[in-house]
Parts: sequence; structure tokens; C-alpha cells
Amino acid sequence: MRAVYASAELDSLLDSESAPWRAQASESIQLIGTPAGLQPTEAIRASYTGKVIGATTSVRVRALHNGDVLAFRLEWEDPHEDNALLDNDSFPDAAAIALPAVADAPLVLMGAPGKPVNAWYWRADEPNSARHVTAEGLGTSRTLDVDVVKARGVWKEGRWNVVIARAMNVTVPGAARITPGSDTGFGVAIWEGSHKERAGIKAFSGDWKVLTIDPTHAGGAA
Amino acid sequence: MEASKRQLAMVMDLNKCIGCQTCTIACKRLWTRDEGMEYMWWNTVNTQPGRGTPRDWEMSGGGFENGVAKPGKLPTRGEFGDAWEYNHKDVFYGGKGKKAHLEIQGTKPEWGPNWDEDQGGGEYPNSYYFYLPRICNHCTHPACLEACPRKAIEKNAENGIVTVNEDSCRGYRFCMEACPYKKIYFNQAAKVSQKCIFCFPRIEQGVANACARQCPGRVRFVGYRDDVNAPIYKLVDKWKVAIPLHPEYGTEPNVFYVPPLAPAAFDENGEIDESRSRIPIEYLESLFGPAVNDSLATLKTEMEKSRNGEKSELIDLLIAYKWKEMFGGFDKDPATIEWVKS
Repeated sequence: MRAVYASAELDSLLDSESAPWRAQASESIQLIGTPAGLQPTEAIRASYTGKVIGATTSVRVRALHNGDVLAFRLEWEDPHEDNALLDNDSFPDAAAIALPAVADAPLVLMGAPGKPVNAWYWRADEPNSARHVTAEGLGTSRTLDVDVVKARGVWKEGRWNVVIARAMNVTVPGAARITPGSDTGFGVAIWEGSHKERAGIKAFSGDWKVLTIDPTHAGGAA
Repeated sequence: MEASKRQLAMVMDLNKCIGCQTCTIACKRLWTRDEGMEYMWWNTVNTQPGRGTPRDWEMSGGGFENGVAKPGKLPTRGEFGDAWEYNHKDVFYGGKGKKAHLEIQGTKPEWGPNWDEDQGGGEYPNSYYFYLPRICNHCTHPACLEACPRKAIEKNAENGIVTVNEDSCRGYRFCMEACPYKKIYFNQAAKVSQKCIFCFPRIEQGVANACARQCPGRVRFVGYRDDVNAPIYKLVDKWKVAIPLHPEYGTEPNVFYVPPLAPAAFDENGEIDESRSRIPIEYLESLFGPAVNDSLATLKTEMEKSRNGEKSELIDLLIAYKWKEMFGGFDKDPATIEWVKS
């Protein structure tokens, strides 16, 4: 997949209906549920063995960058908008982009000691913010900060459109650094709130997909 | 998880609990008054037999079966009893005099945190009930801690108190599913799980838990499990009369109960049958396991000794002649301490 260069302000990138996004073709990525056996605690494994994990089966992905910021637009069908914590058993829809903070970080295991995976995590109960997360193995995710990653999510007519964006060149330890004109791996995860999906209970895109970041000023969408 | 060096524990004598809820209110006033905590009662007192709080918690799974984690249910706010809204403003400040009465606002509740109070069980003349106060058991093998994928639940290495680290908690609520006693609450405003903290800020200052210190019935003993000169050790390990609730849940609770004795049952002719308690032993076994038999036998023996004018260390302990001695050294007066909210 390509992250096409677009001369656009951040606000325009965060608006999933803006002209740069409309000009951009999407790619459908199939999602699979995380295996129950890979859940980080015995209680979670016991609760989910034999149950369906990963209610969302595919997501349409687009990527743009403006030289400073890389943005992903995720679009998926979800007849049920779960955007609030209404009760103890209510969970919000959520989405995340994963990137390798070092070249050989294993995605399926959410990183490994010394090989962190960097996640940009958005949740529907806080639709206009996101968390910057690092993980070095299953069950080790921790928040780096809550202001570096920008996001905006809109649910309309049975579909979520969520843009998750971050400056490419950040110096936070554990954060992936992205260079225009190079390739990076990426992954997508979607949590379906109405199915009580949270934490490692999610649909994900499997191993790293390749994202080619166009050089800045390379043409592409205007 | 490494074992704690020491373990704080509590013993509650069910023979003395009058169900007054002073413990409940002491806890509520101190710890659960912030936004999102309205429905929380870290301390509850329910009538047994009964469905309890949250409703039917004993049938909600969680804990361990043969040492293996058992899936559990996530209790809703409604099942906990929720927080009812009242027309307080109207009654107290509305200027309507006697025309306004206190009424629940909104949907009429179908359950509450103490809904089946004093209903109990049995058939007249052998009807019976007793009160069961509950807090977090600060288990030695905490199912909540082991279930959390973020290691956000911590068991203090020095004193064994189990707490939620709200900086690490992301509100996933696997702990609520895993706790077989259903003593963890979700705060929708703070988006984190919250629970009884065994009053650790008081404990750190040498002050006993609010629920224990405020109890007018002298029901609750507090202290370290291994303090051989204090009541907890004597009641749990020496006399073995204080036993855990639902030991079969496999979490090794550190709250122990002195089981309730009851008057003798009436037989079919209306005569007192000294061989049977008003509370069926099968019911007590269902709560406390077979150990309840030895506990009750010891209690009866020692009560008899005491009645006969003999000295009984156990009965003297349970009477709690000296209130401060119930608290295993945590007997400072909280009014003498300058509390700072950090």
C-alpha cells in the first residue's frame, strides 16, 4: 500500500471527508480474530477459548502524508455505534494502527523485549483524541503520551470513518520514526464494542503489511 | 506474583453483626463519593440466605476451579443495585412544605444493594437469617490480579493489600469478571476499575479500617495474619473458628468469618430440638465449606466453658472487652492525625 503525498493541513487530513481523502483509493484489508491461546492471562484465555474473537472482518484503509504527518483513514462497517460507557458491560468501538519501532519487531506478539511495537490507538468514547502506545510483548502495552497522536472518528449510516495521524519524525523512545521515500510495515486492529472486544480481544490484520511512503512533493493527490 | 512478606487480614464475627450498615456508610463517606462512584459500596452487608450484591453473585463464576481460572460474569450496575436518584432538592429546598415527599426519580428500581434485607430463609417457626458483611478479600491468590492483562492490580509486598493502579488500568474489566466475590466496580467517569483498598492510607498511619473502627457491634478484628499475640492469628490459626467465605473459589481470602450460631430448631411438635440449629448446617457448609462444623463445635464448647465459670480465651476474645485490642496495633485515633489529600 502507498501513503501518497498530499499538500494538506493537519485539519484537512483529520477530516475523512476532505478532498485529499476523497481523491485517494482505498485498499481492503482482511482481519482475523486474535487467537484465544495468545491472550496474556489465563483468565482471558479461559473466557475466550471456543468463542468467536474479531467481529470485524475487513477494513478499508487509505494513507496520506503531508511531509510532516502520516495519516491513516480506516473505514469499516459497524451497524452498532458503541461510543459511550453506558454500563459495566458496555465497551467502546476502537481502532489502532501498529508500526514497528525497530525493523524486526514482531507484530503478532505485539513486540518483544527490546523490539517494541508502536501503536496509535483510537477509542470511540474519546472520538477526537488518541493514545500513543508502546508494547514489547503480549500484555505489555503502555501509554507513551496522549497528545502526539491525532485522531478523529465519525460514525454515519452504519460505518466508522476514523483518521489516525501522527508526525512522522518524533523522538519519543518506543515511537516508530517514518521517513518519506521509504517503506514501513504497518498493521490494523479493530475492536467491536458490542461484542465486548477490548485489550487483546480484537480483529487484526495479521503480520506486517508494507506501506510505501511516497517522497515529499512526489506528485500524488493534490 | 511473589508472596507478600506479611498479610493484613480481617475477621468478622457474624454472631455480633446487627446489619446496621454503619460499616457501609463509614466506607461510603470516606472512599466512594467521587463522580462515577455513586453506585459503589465497597462494603456491603446482605441478609443471608439471599441473592446478595451484586444480585446472585455466588452464581457468577470467576475464581479458580482445581487451580485453573474459571470464566466469570461481568455484573451490571443494575445487578449491583445502582444509585437511585431522589428528589432531594424538591423536598429540602423546594418550598413545598409537607406536600413534597422523598421519591425515587426515573424508572422504578427492581433491585438494590440491600434489596432482600431481612427476608432470610426457612419456614416458620424455623425461619432464620443472619447478616453477611463483605469487603474485598485481599486474596492471597487474587483472581483479579491474575486476570488483568496490564498488570494494573498490585498486591502490596509488605502487607498483602490488593489495589488497582489507576494509572495502569484501562478499564478492560477482566478483573470484574475474574473476581468470584464480585467486589470490583467500574467507574464510568474515571474509566477505571475501583475496589476496597483496605483503608491503606489509614493502616499506614496506624489507624484501623473505617468499617472496623466504626462498627458499633465490635464485629471486626484487624491485623497481621502472623501476629501471634493478636486476635487474627488466635481466631484463624490457633482456635480455627474464623474461616473464609467460599474457600472453594480458590483465591484464599484474607477476610475470615466466625460463623453464626443460632437458636435450636423447633421440631414438628413445636418442641425445641437442641440437636439442630435454626440455621441448617447444609446452608452454612455451602457458604464456608466443611470447616464450619469444627468452628461451630469449638464455639459451643468454649461457650459452655464460659457459662460454667471457666476462663475461655476464645470467648473473651470474641466478646472484645477491650475495643482497641481488636485492631492488632492499628489502634490510633484518626482524629489525632493530620490527614493530607495528595
